[in-house]
This record gives sequence, structure tokens and C-alpha cells, in this order.
Amino acid sequence: MAIEIKSKIEDVRWPSGVRLPIMLTFEHQAGEGAPLFAGERPNYMVGGAMQYGARRGIWNILELLDQYRVKATFFVLGTTAEKYPETVQAAAKAGHEIAGMGYGFASVRTASEEQERSIVRRAAKVLQDIADVKIRGWRCPDYRVSPKTLDILAEEGLVWDSSLLNDDLPYLFDTGSRKIVEIPFTTSTADKTYVGYPYPQRGGPDGLSSVWNNELDVLYRESEKAPRLLSLSLQTWATGRPASLRVLGQLLDRLLGHEEFRFAQCSDVAGWRLNSAAP
Amino acid sequence: MWNEKGYKRSFRWPQGVRLPIAVSVHHQSEEATCPMPDGQPDPFDYSERQYGARRGAWRLLDIMAKHGVRGTWLICGATLEKYPEVSRAVQQAGHCIAGHTYAHEMMCNMPPHSEIALIKKTVAVFEDLLGEHIHGWRTCFASHNTLDLLLEHSDIEWDGSMWNDDLPSLIEGHGREILEIPFATYSDTALGVDITNPAFPPSRFSTWNANPPDFMLRGLKSAFDALYERGAQRAVMMPLVVHDFITGRPFRSKVLDEFLTYAKQFDGVVFTGHDELARWSRETGEFGKE
Repeated sequence: MAIEIKSKIEDVRWPSGVRLPIMLTFEHQAGEGAPLFAGERPNYMVGGAMQYGARRGIWNILELLDQYRVKATFFVLGTTAEKYPETVQAAAKAGHEIAGMGYGFASVRTASEEQERSIVRRAAKVLQDIADVKIRGWRCPDYRVSPKTLDILAEEGLVWDSSLLNDDLPYLFDTGSRKIVEIPFTTSTADKTYVGYPYPQRGGPDGLSSVWNNELDVLYRESEKAPRLLSLSLQTWATGRPASLRVLGQLLDRLLGHEEFRFAQCSDVAGWRLNSAAP
Repeated sequence: MWNEKGYKRSFRWPQGVRLPIAVSVHHQSEEATCPMPDGQPDPFDYSERQYGARRGAWRLLDIMAKHGVRGTWLICGATLEKYPEVSRAVQQAGHCIAGHTYAHEMMCNMPPHSEIALIKKTVAVFEDLLGEHIHGWRTCFASHNTLDLLLEHSDIEWDGSMWNDDLPSLIEGHGREILEIPFATYSDTALGVDITNPAFPPSRFSTWNANPPDFMLRGLKSAFDALYERGAQRAVMMPLVVHDFITGRPFRSKVLDEFLTYAKQFDGVVFTGHDELARWSRETGEFGKE
């Protein structure tokens, strides 16, 4: 088996007074992830639906987050930053965390170490040049790590990764010489399942709303006894549509004004994880 | 070779049992990871499934404890080796424990000697790590040989690998008998997940293809209602299959939680493990030609 991830399950301590941190993350791409038609012909169908995020969706999301004064994390594809620089600049300027998500949707799963490292460096440089940010975190765009991904990210000075889906809580990944925080995410509560073409649209905004409410109910109850984290992994092209944007607004209505919920960016969570490790 | 005696229409459960529900947890975590086109395991699918042992199984265990539900845990040998603390907690809680192959092999693709070796290897893992001699077995992908091999080379008392019936059958051969307790996935919360998504292979169980919770709950309740109604006249059972990495996710676990709350309130609904179903079948079941 090429991948053996057996790192220990370690509990984390949140800052005092925080019962359940809420981590909103948005993947920001412009259709690069859509499969091309045979002969490398463009796919305006799927690709177009995803391009919506860069054209419109992210602006709708930024406006909503601003209204609620909530800070989130945006995973930005390097090519999307190049094509739509103003979207990334606006997100950074508003105080949202900008993290790397590769370049042009190239998969690193079977890439050489050299190729993978150059993708990380290129993506980091694009975001530095365009939005003046030094990225601290990463997600593989197709969620498929290579056996070297976490080592390379740690060596390149990144603090956290969020490409794995195997836990509810962040944990320390010891790559040998360095440590990096893994903040696992889930596609099970993903917006795209319920509201986004080309995925099966099951239940629409109402289905999405019930998924998020269920997730919150369960994690909130469990957080009475053990640390939990509500982490939603969303797409600017799916949640950014007006009908699903309303669902996000309704969730924020339910959460805001309660001290025990704390909106956190990925780097906050990574920092809390690192602090928890102190003896 | 073996002979099958199917259940007779006069088959009955013991007095007072109107609808037995066998919550069957497939504790397999990452063992059935889908391969990429190059044959290597898909890291996305691997990681998503690994949630099963790290978190999902614990959550399912908690929900079953909360409702006082005893069920059957079908555990892969490799999962037990990698995450023994989960299986020990399952054992401690008193659930029926059964083997679910070693690493979720597709036995249908295996020659008999490999299948025998895997059955024996798995049985040995349970003895070594849990001190438990297992009496039950399920392979989701049975071969033509599975029942023969279990009869001849093991002392397994019940098998739950067949999808072709709704109540147990008696299987006789090689000088002994086992009960075949079939399963079905109409009530599988896993069906909240699209098994095949040709647009985005190969994560076939990729949990982003899921139905919303109200849809899942409606499906489970409607199956329950129909079986409970029929249970007044004839023997029925509800095999409720859940997977650690699917139903163990928070939002989906709530569906199971709500379904158990709903089903518990009806008289004659009994949550039980396959060991007890097998015992009842021997005591009050009737098999053979009508």
C-alpha cells in the first residue's frame, strides 16, 4: 500500500470559552477541475458551472461574510488567481486567509518529488505576487496526496495541510524532521452534492440546510464531552449561487451571537493544535 | 457440496418477537479502498474511509449504547489488527462479533485455497487479539465456494453473505449445517451514497454523493413500517446495514439515531445480533419444502 497514514489520534484543546469552533473554507477555482471532452475540447458545461465561482460566486460570498463579519479560509488555485486576480485580492484585503490549492489542477499523486515541490512553489509565488500573501496552508485540488506531500509542505515552511478526510479533529503529522498540522476535512457535508451541477443534486438548498443542521446538532452535543470542530468545505461555485448562499446565511444566523461558537480560520485551528501539544 | 433448506412459510420467531432488527456494522475502515486507473489505491478514498476506524466506529458504538441496542459487528481481520481498541470496545459492549474477511477481499475472484487461507487467517486474528472464537462470517462478494469452504474448513455457525432471501435458510453439507442469514441493502444507510458515479470515478463510495438526511430517514421508516405491518402475520426481519466510514459521519449518524428512536417505540421490535437470530432459527424456525 503506497499510503499508510497511521498517525495517532490526539485530542486538541481549544481556547478557553470556546466550545465548538466553526471553520468555513471555500475552494476557489474557475473550472480547471472540470474534465475536458475527448480531444482536449473545452467543457463549458461542467467547467462553466464551476467558472461561476470566479465570475460571481466569490463576490456573493465575500459580501455575505462581510455582513456577518465572519472570517473564512479560501483555497485558491494558482491559475484562478492569475485569471481572476481581483477576487483573491478582495478576499485577502477583507481579512480572509488565503491558502494554496495547487496550480492548474495538476495532480501530485504520481508526480516526482521535484515536480510536486515546483507546484507548491509556483502556487505560493502566484499568490504572493497577486495578493501579497505568504500561504501557510495547503489542499491538494483533487484531494489526492502523494506519499511525499506532507514532507514537502513542511519543508517548504507550511504550517498546516488539509488534504485528508480521516478525522474530525486536527492532529500533528510527524514527517520525520518536521511537524505539520493536518486539519482533515469532509466532502460528506459538501455544498456541491446538494446544489452544484454536475454532481447529483439531491434535495437542493433544503437538503443542504438539513445536512448542515444535522452536522451542527451532532457535533454540538458531542462537544460537551470532547473537543469537536465544525468544518465546512465549500465551493465558491456552489455556495456562491444565490439559492445556496441563503442557506449559509441561515446557518450563520443560528451560530452568531453565541460565545461558545468561535469562527476560526485554518491557521487559527493549526495554532491551537500546536499549542495543545505543549506539555 | 451442500443442500439448502429454505424457510417454510410457517417459519416463526419466538413468542413476542414481531420484528427483529439486526443492526449490522461493517467495521472495515479503509480496507475496501478503490484503486486508481493505474491500480494504486486512491488516496482520497483511502483517507475518507479511514475515518471509519478513527472516528466513525466510535460514534456508532455510542449511538447503539445510547439506545441499548445490541447488534452485530462485522469486522475485517486487518481492521482488527490496525485498530484493536475499537474491536475491544465492541466486545466489551457485548455485541455479536463476526468476521468480515481479512482485508475485504472479493472472494468471488479467489481460488478456493486462497479463500480458505483468508478465512483461517481472519479467524486466527480474532482469537489472538480478542480471545474470541468467532461463529459468524460475512463476505459481501461471496464465491461459488464460500459456503462449501465454511462448512468443510471452519466451525462457523452462521453466514450472512447471501443477498437472495429475506429470512434464514439451513445449509447442510460436509457432515454439518450452518444457518444462512441473508442481508439486503434496501435499508442500508449506505444507500444514502451513490455506489457508482461514472462522472467521477473511482471513489465509488465517495460520500459526497449522498442523499439528504430526511430522504434517508424516510426510506428507513417506510421499510420499517412495511415490515412491522407484515410482522403481525408472518415472520420478517430487518437487516440494517451501516458502515463505519459512511453512517459514522456526524450528520448521517443522526439519521440512525432518529431511526432507532422511532423503531424502539413499537411493541415486538427486538434489536438483536446474528448469533441470537441463528439460535432462534434453530429453536422456532421451520425449514424445508412446503
